[in-house]
Amino acid sequence: MDGYAAIDRINELLDSTDPETVNTSMRLPGTLRDAAALAVSELDLAPSTTVLTANALRAMLEAAVMQAVLDRHYEEYPESRPTLADLAVAAAELDGHPLAGQPEFLRQSAAEVARRHPGAAPEDVLLWAEARASATA
Amino acid sequence: MSWTILLDNEAVQALADPSHRKHRRALGYAQVVISRKARADPVNVAVPAAVRVEAGWDRTAPAWAFVNRLRIADIPLDRTHANTAAAISSRTGVSVADAHLGAAIANADADAARVTVVTSDPRDMRIVAEGKHVEVVAL
Repeated sequence: MDGYAAIDRINELLDSTDPETVNTSMRLPGTLRDAAALAVSELDLAPSTTVLTANALRAMLEAAVMQAVLDRHYEEYPESRPTLADLAVAAAELDGHPLAGQPEFLRQSAAEVARRHPGAAPEDVLLWAEARASATA
Repeated sequence: MSWTILLDNEAVQALADPSHRKHRRALGYAQVVISRKARADPVNVAVPAAVRVEAGWDRTAPAWAFVNRLRIADIPLDRTHANTAAAISSRTGVSVADAHLGAAIANADADAARVTVVTSDPRDMRIVAEGKHVEVVAL
């Protein structure tokens, strides 16, 4: 199965409305199962451990398959890969961050963060930008 | 609370076309969605059917293979959406695609879901929202 065939099949399976369920032979650490059961009963994390597990697995698979698609796209179109600054601005805009309206300030902050922390995440940039903004306020 | 991110015509075009001047920016939003999904936030990206028509997005056409794989859901123009969209269109005079976006916003609002629209025309999105809570991101 080539890369896109696997991606397309995973997407097809994730989109399926087939209600059939299966018992799996997946082996989980007993402590993890117990922690999940407690989180469901005491923290109302989900209606059941089955729902909790299925939702978490679905979210992770969706993220993985989307990232795989983008990674292949970036190989073909390297210039389309968003920079750390692009990601910080995008995250600020989608999250309604107070600095979303100051993209140039966020870009400058991203450059400063990237100099010291090449593996920084967009959230690191937003935190740094917010700290800078409050220091100068 | 679930979170739906809606795309307008230009957002779809920007995402799909590597030569579009806002392509990298649109991919930035996709990357943020991925990071939220990875931490199990209930976020989904969707496009109203009428927007797809306006954008020329034919899911069977090879040219759309890239965006087809990005798990962007269709919001069908079913009876409920058509009624709401028709009413919005009558009141505001917006296009069919924008009226369907308005119906999708109204539907999300009724479900108490958080809704964000990525759009090239924030003003029109405020009009079709008709006072309902919506976050607008200008592409």
